[in-house]
Amino acid sequence: MIELKNLTKRFGDIVAVNRLTLFVPEGEIFGFIGPNGAGKTTTLRMMGGVIAPTEGSVIIDAIPMAENPENAKKRIGFIPDRPFLYEKLTGKEFLRFTADLYGLDDGLFYKRSERILKQFSLDQWADDLIESYSHGMKQRLIISAAILHDPKVIVVDEPMVGLDPAGVRMVKGLFRNLAKKGTTIFMSTHTLAVAEDVCDRIGIIHKGSLIATGTVEELRLRAQVQEGDLEEVFLILTEGESVP
Amino acid sequence: MKEVFALLKPRFLSFKNRSISGSLRGRKLRFLVFGTFGLLFWGGTFSIFYRVLIYFQGLEAFGDILAYKLLSMVLITFFSLLIFSGILTSLSKLYLSRDLSLVHSMPVSREKIFLSRWIESTIDSSWMVLIYSLPFFLPYGLVYKGGAFYYAMLGVNLLPFCLIASSLSSLIVMAAAMFLPAGRIRSVFIFLGLLLFLLIILSFRLIRPERFVRPESFIPVVLYLRDLETSHSPFLPTTWFFDSLRAALSGCMGSAFFNSALSWSCAITMIFVATWVSGAFYFKGLSKAQIAPKRLFFLFSAKRARYGIFTNLFSGPARAFVVKEIKTFIRDQTQWSQIFLVVALIVIYLYNFSVLPMDRGPIKMEYLQNLISFLNMGLAAFVLSAVSARFVFPAVSVEGDAFWIVKSSPVSIRTFLWIKFFVYFLPLLLLSELLIVLTNVLLHVTPFMMVLSVVTVFLMVPGIISMGIGLGAIYPDFQSENPAQSVTSLGGLIYMTLCIGFIASVIVLEAGPVYHIFMTGIRHVRLSGIQWLWLVTSFSLVLFLCVMALLIPMRLGEKRIHQYEMGH
Repeated sequence: MIELKNLTKRFGDIVAVNRLTLFVPEGEIFGFIGPNGAGKTTTLRMMGGVIAPTEGSVIIDAIPMAENPENAKKRIGFIPDRPFLYEKLTGKEFLRFTADLYGLDDGLFYKRSERILKQFSLDQWADDLIESYSHGMKQRLIISAAILHDPKVIVVDEPMVGLDPAGVRMVKGLFRNLAKKGTTIFMSTHTLAVAEDVCDRIGIIHKGSLIATGTVEELRLRAQVQEGDLEEVFLILTEGESVP
Repeated sequence: MKEVFALLKPRFLSFKNRSISGSLRGRKLRFLVFGTFGLLFWGGTFSIFYRVLIYFQGLEAFGDILAYKLLSMVLITFFSLLIFSGILTSLSKLYLSRDLSLVHSMPVSREKIFLSRWIESTIDSSWMVLIYSLPFFLPYGLVYKGGAFYYAMLGVNLLPFCLIASSLSSLIVMAAAMFLPAGRIRSVFIFLGLLLFLLIILSFRLIRPERFVRPESFIPVVLYLRDLETSHSPFLPTTWFFDSLRAALSGCMGSAFFNSALSWSCAITMIFVATWVSGAFYFKGLSKAQIAPKRLFFLFSAKRARYGIFTNLFSGPARAFVVKEIKTFIRDQTQWSQIFLVVALIVIYLYNFSVLPMDRGPIKMEYLQNLISFLNMGLAAFVLSAVSARFVFPAVSVEGDAFWIVKSSPVSIRTFLWIKFFVYFLPLLLLSELLIVLTNVLLHVTPFMMVLSVVTVFLMVPGIISMGIGLGAIYPDFQSENPAQSVTSLGGLIYMTLCIGFIASVIVLEAGPVYHIFMTGIRHVRLSGIQWLWLVTSFSLVLFLCVMALLIPMRLGEKRIHQYEMGH
């Protein structure tokens, strides 16, 4: 469903993402973890079609992003780490704006937006300006907008930031349900417990390169750790890589 | 086109929803004040231009040449303004807007994103130029009796004129974005624009229009103007617009329509070309724009900068704020171009004094010199207020989202505000004194007037700076993307009004006693007892006023910042 081939991004002399190759099948929740500045957000922005790769390609549902960006993006629900929202729009107006761009007709929009706003406990605030929303409410609204068009792929950067425990549980449940129905989820996170809890497979990126992929068990084997959580595995793998 | 309109919707809805949020009263007041000023300016320009055209019409032989030459110059000026304004707005809309990530993650083609941004940019960059171009165009119809046909052709030509300029601007920006990071382009274009503006002012000043006071220098100008009636390049949009209007004024409908058809065909072609270019290059440029621009100069890098002597005056935490203030100010390149503009305008200001034809005036020279010097104190203080409105008033707002650092730091708000005060006070005091001393030297004023000017300015500067810092703290805008624009807010307006009131009060208080001192000096008599009393009372009041202007705004600002809660 998601295919990254030799994906590379350079900013001047800095190589942010270096020849990243990866395949994520349909219905899988893939966790993308790495230290600060490892290249996670840059990878996700290339996957979302927000920036162009210097080399390599992003293929979503067999559609190359570089050649057919509109069709590829139609299949994605993109949730950035620092989402921009039009503060002077109401929550409902923002969803309408998203729906218009994804080509949802009026009937489908009303049906889905009502359901999603209720699901995310935003129905009472739907007609209030976004500027009056709390950080968590804004995060829930941006997730609502991303799933409104029923995407085949969700690309999400730090989904749990700003959410309260109930919100975190709700989003985890949502991702599991969507994955069960066949949606592929590519999730970048620093919250290793969430990655361990939700993700089917995890990829570790460090200094722009993918250094390991697999289930938590496979990563544990790779790090030669008998017991211990993902945090320990992560630290061993990334520290090992940083030794010259 | 459905997607293009959908992309424009947030702008429209945000505009519509403005009434739901924020202070409606403040906005109404601002609208009223700026609207009144705008209307007065519009009306003033219209009446001056109308009179100029009437005067030209009365000049035999070359009156019409002058009027048409003026029209052609107006068109070129407005076209340049439209292009410059278009470059800045399209740069911001296409490459720097905060919603770009959101918009580009949507399943919409780049051409459509470009078109929606271009439409926004065209409207934003053209509306004000359009409104203020009307007082120049409308009088032609009245003076030369163009009738309804002239006004219709004006409308028909203005639209493609704006569309061509806006398309050209977006093409320039897209080309520049292929080579430069977007943040750097803005600095470069602002700098080039200011340079152009200054060249225009300088060239105008170097013509020395004051020479027209001398009738003997008028004849060569008349001869020169006779040679002006030359044709323009047939490939310029300004020529088509000019030819169309000229034809409309002289009743040649065919030529008027033909030239506007040229404008329209060019506009449509330009839009098509810009859209096509956007498909090929816009996204590439946008991806490049993500690279943070490298610093232009490392002159002020942490290792090399030496603020020792100045910063040693402060304790640890206060010193940290002082160093931060100086470094952030110096490293913000948007400040440089404006400092450059301020310096250039001051040079022109001084140049004006050096060429004043005072010996040709009907008033006695010594009297005139000292009168101008006295009024110059007010003028210099006003220049300082304008500079402060741009740099000092936004000094608190410029903390932006980082204001929590100030609130949570072990430095009192009072210290924080006084640091801000001194950072701006020292350079601005130096600037004002330099200005006043140099102009007085150029005017050859009496020693008394020199001392009076230096002392008065020394007393006024702290008040003006304090009002800037204090009112900036009373009306902070930590959410603004560009705090420099906070001067156009209600607080900025109150600041300028108070400054003018303060300067006028000082000048008025000093005017009476200074006049008497000066006249007794000329007449070689002594001041009377009442005059002495008047003098002491006036100067004591000036001192009191200056001390109050220094202390009250800082106190009020401190109080307001204490009450301010982040996120509200």
